[in-house]
Amino acid sequence: MALIQLSPQTIKQWRRFRTIKRGYYSLVVLIALLALSCISELLVSNRAIVVKYEGQYYFPTYSAFLPGRTFGLDYDYETNYRELETHFDTERDAAEAAGKAPPDNWLLLPIVPYSAYETDFQSDAFPPYAPSLGDKHFLGTDVTGRDILARLVYGFRLAMAFSLILLACNYLIGVALGCAMGFWGGVFDLLFQRLIEVWSNVPFLYVIMIISSVVVPNFWTLIIAMVIFGWMGMTWYMRTATYKEKAREYVAAAQALGASQLRIVFRHILPNTIAIIVTFIPFSIASGVTALTALDYLGFGLPPPTPSWGELLGEGTANLQSPWIVTSVVAAMTLVLLMVAFIGEAIREAFDPKQFTFYE
Amino acid sequence: MRNLYLAIPLLLLFGCGQEAAAPTGSGAEGTSDASTAPSDELVTATDTHLVANPPTYPNEKLPDGLVWVTNDTDPVYASPEAKRGGTMHIYMQGFPLTLRQYGPDSNSDDFAYYYKSALNASLVDLQPNTLNFVPSLATHWAFGADGKTVYYKLNPNARWSDGEPVTADDYVFGREFRLSKYLLDPYGQNYFTNIVVNVKKYDDYTISVEGATAKPKNEMLYQYSVSPIARHFYKLDDNFVENYNWRIAPVTGPYEISTVEKGRYIELKRIKNWWGDDLKYNKNRYNVDTIRLDVIRDDTVAFEYFLKGQIDKFLFNTNPARWHEKARGEIFDKGYAGKIEFYNDVPREARGLWLNTDDPLLSDKNVRYGIAYAINMDKVLSTVFRNDYERLQSPYQGYYWGYSDPTIRARPFDLAKANKYFDDAGWTQRGPDGIRVKNGQRLSVSISYGTDEHSPWLIVLREEAKKAGLELNLQLLDPAAWGNQVQQKKFQIVVLTLSTGLTPSYWQAYHSDNAHKPQTNNLTNTDDPELDKLITEYEAATTLERRVELSHEIQHIIHDICAFIPLYTIPSIRETFWRWMKLPPEHGVRTSGDLFNPLDTAIFWIDEQEKEETLAAMKSGKTFPPINIVDKTWHVE
Repeated sequence: MALIQLSPQTIKQWRRFRTIKRGYYSLVVLIALLALSCISELLVSNRAIVVKYEGQYYFPTYSAFLPGRTFGLDYDYETNYRELETHFDTERDAAEAAGKAPPDNWLLLPIVPYSAYETDFQSDAFPPYAPSLGDKHFLGTDVTGRDILARLVYGFRLAMAFSLILLACNYLIGVALGCAMGFWGGVFDLLFQRLIEVWSNVPFLYVIMIISSVVVPNFWTLIIAMVIFGWMGMTWYMRTATYKEKAREYVAAAQALGASQLRIVFRHILPNTIAIIVTFIPFSIASGVTALTALDYLGFGLPPPTPSWGELLGEGTANLQSPWIVTSVVAAMTLVLLMVAFIGEAIREAFDPKQFTFYE
Repeated sequence: MRNLYLAIPLLLLFGCGQEAAAPTGSGAEGTSDASTAPSDELVTATDTHLVANPPTYPNEKLPDGLVWVTNDTDPVYASPEAKRGGTMHIYMQGFPLTLRQYGPDSNSDDFAYYYKSALNASLVDLQPNTLNFVPSLATHWAFGADGKTVYYKLNPNARWSDGEPVTADDYVFGREFRLSKYLLDPYGQNYFTNIVVNVKKYDDYTISVEGATAKPKNEMLYQYSVSPIARHFYKLDDNFVENYNWRIAPVTGPYEISTVEKGRYIELKRIKNWWGDDLKYNKNRYNVDTIRLDVIRDDTVAFEYFLKGQIDKFLFNTNPARWHEKARGEIFDKGYAGKIEFYNDVPREARGLWLNTDDPLLSDKNVRYGIAYAINMDKVLSTVFRNDYERLQSPYQGYYWGYSDPTIRARPFDLAKANKYFDDAGWTQRGPDGIRVKNGQRLSVSISYGTDEHSPWLIVLREEAKKAGLELNLQLLDPAAWGNQVQQKKFQIVVLTLSTGLTPSYWQAYHSDNAHKPQTNNLTNTDDPELDKLITEYEAATTLERRVELSHEIQHIIHDICAFIPLYTIPSIRETFWRWMKLPPEHGVRTSGDLFNPLDTAIFWIDEQEKEETLAAMKSGKTFPPINIVDKTWHVE
């Protein structure tokens, strides 16, 4: 499809984008973070990456749970791999002390050996625990002893996934309807304009509050609710752009050649409005992330114990005497939003036909 | 005045944890907000004779052979060192929707819960340490031959706060009043229909109260203690509810409302020459002259007021972390303010997980047992609750007069037993995430709760339950939705606290009459013929021995059914107070709630001289020894 074929224009815009360093590097970093978050089970998890026990290799990360008995421990529930590591160490030391050959049992833990749900209590103090390299709580723990870094990482993955899916849904509806309104015009346009005006005036936050007081929201119900009240934004821009493009000669030419309406919209008009869509994407991602965070902060978002930035933010502000909670989440949030803003700015500039305009 | 803990009536009252608002059957839900109050003017007229010719009632004939008893042999519990005077600053979370004591909106806010009903004295009081009854509005009492009537001789000195005498007519009128259709008061209707059936007058200072069922004597005195209503003040008509929203009613207690600034504060003044001052057990109590109740909507903000000395005491009834993290700093180190942990001995609220036995999964007894053994409360107590709270052992713990069976112990966290019961129930396989599965269904149950305060410890329980292959889905609902779910019984497991009475009341919570239908307190839908039989027998039993015996049997059956998993109980009252707030050497009494509630046992006092000293010391930097009191006199192990 024309959308994917790289036209010389697109290649030029991409080159331009690359020259805008902070936007470009932000994109590289953000994509790297997203890619890493897809494999975060290997980096942040309470399951070991690989265990060698009695000559056999185990890879617990993506497999079914392995009860403690698999590794010679005395319980049926999921192995605690951190304890298993110390267990192996003591076995080895005991064997060495006895002068025997040490058993070849070992395991490799992720860099952060905690899951986002697990509560880790120490015997001599009560959480929240301050950041500590020794305990491998690199950013400390929250008030129930859960690792903040783990919750940040999984919270990031969830927020980004939420935001991207939300974006896809919103744009699908927004672009389709906006295009149709601009292309057909007339009564159809008029009808939907009024509908959108009315619909836009429904106070979105209240609706979400009402919904979450009736049902416990989950990932998908939240997305559906937010799509229902969020698709209108794109329609206005698409409608205007389509109107503009429709009046151009090339559309008239295509019509004269007998092209179908679908072909005109998809092959001629849409590719010419792509600049608008692309420019808006970064800002929509940012707003998706902030919306989810805000809802979680207010307690109308995903139910506990889902790892979420909003919940961490709420906990952090309620426990200012443990500043590592609020600092971590605010720093993470600022960084991500800043990167998205840089990308957005760079895209806007790359798509700007006036190459040498300077805004003062 | 009856103690706060005991004054909680046996109505349908759910408490969700130690702090959250309780949705009640009759009162409006939600917080009070001055803007929603009707705009009619506050009536502060001193002339309370709103009724020209108050009703009087004919005298009945007093039966012969009554044995009048009184009690002046119990020890007094207030301190002779107490000083009278001073102004106490405290707060309430919202402004009341009405000053009326009965009817719509009258029972749904802080003011109503802690102070409004306490403005009135009762017929008899409990001596809070011995739990014997002592005179108050009544000087003597006697029991009728039918086993369900109590006779009272009234104190002829008792006066309403406007100076009018309190007479037998006020009690007879009281019943009529509470039954009135104009009052819109279902609780009163129920009380005077199903619990108390009649109030009779014999002369101006002798009455009787007839209950619906025969009961042991102590319980009759407690449950059939009706309140007088000032008949010269209340005119019952269609507009009663609106007309009396902001009228200040005459009261029989030591304080009356003196100033009301809507939405901002209420001020109470000590009545000069209060009739009750002469009573033995009131001496050296109610020492504060003025009580100023400001509206501070947020607890955290209120604590800041406390730190600045703008309120005099602060009750920590929330999680232990706050007590340990927040109640510290300069004013405590330098001895300007003190901390007290006072262990009391009261019937414990039934705070637990209620399992809905109508749910297909939870109808299996083995599954319920498995869940009970998979709940690791010990870990929660030693971590999240910092060893400050204790495990609740049974839904009926700590009742007086032997009603509680101390041999009933909560099931401990025991994976071997949990595994055995789940295996017995057929949940033998474990899925890829370690949760048990049977025929493609996961062993997963929802726990619904209505306040975020519960999340930290539920998270721990959830992680621990996984070890037994059980998944607990936390379902945090907004309080109204949660209340609704509870009333409709549309939950699998709910975290909820059922408040206590003086004696256990099994019918409402466990009789099959209340099972399988919405809006009853049989939350677990327990439906057991044998239990029904025992409960019926218990309700009818008149001797204490028989009731206690039946009570123990009932508790064992409830324990065996295992639809209630006890969580924790808060064994102590924790408060911070400024140095000038003085407590007697005993600090409190057996039944103490808030030690510094000026309308409860109220044995503390304000030392004005020390207040000046403390304020001067804070300026000059002089310090005092820190005050850290831990009083375990009444602690029940």
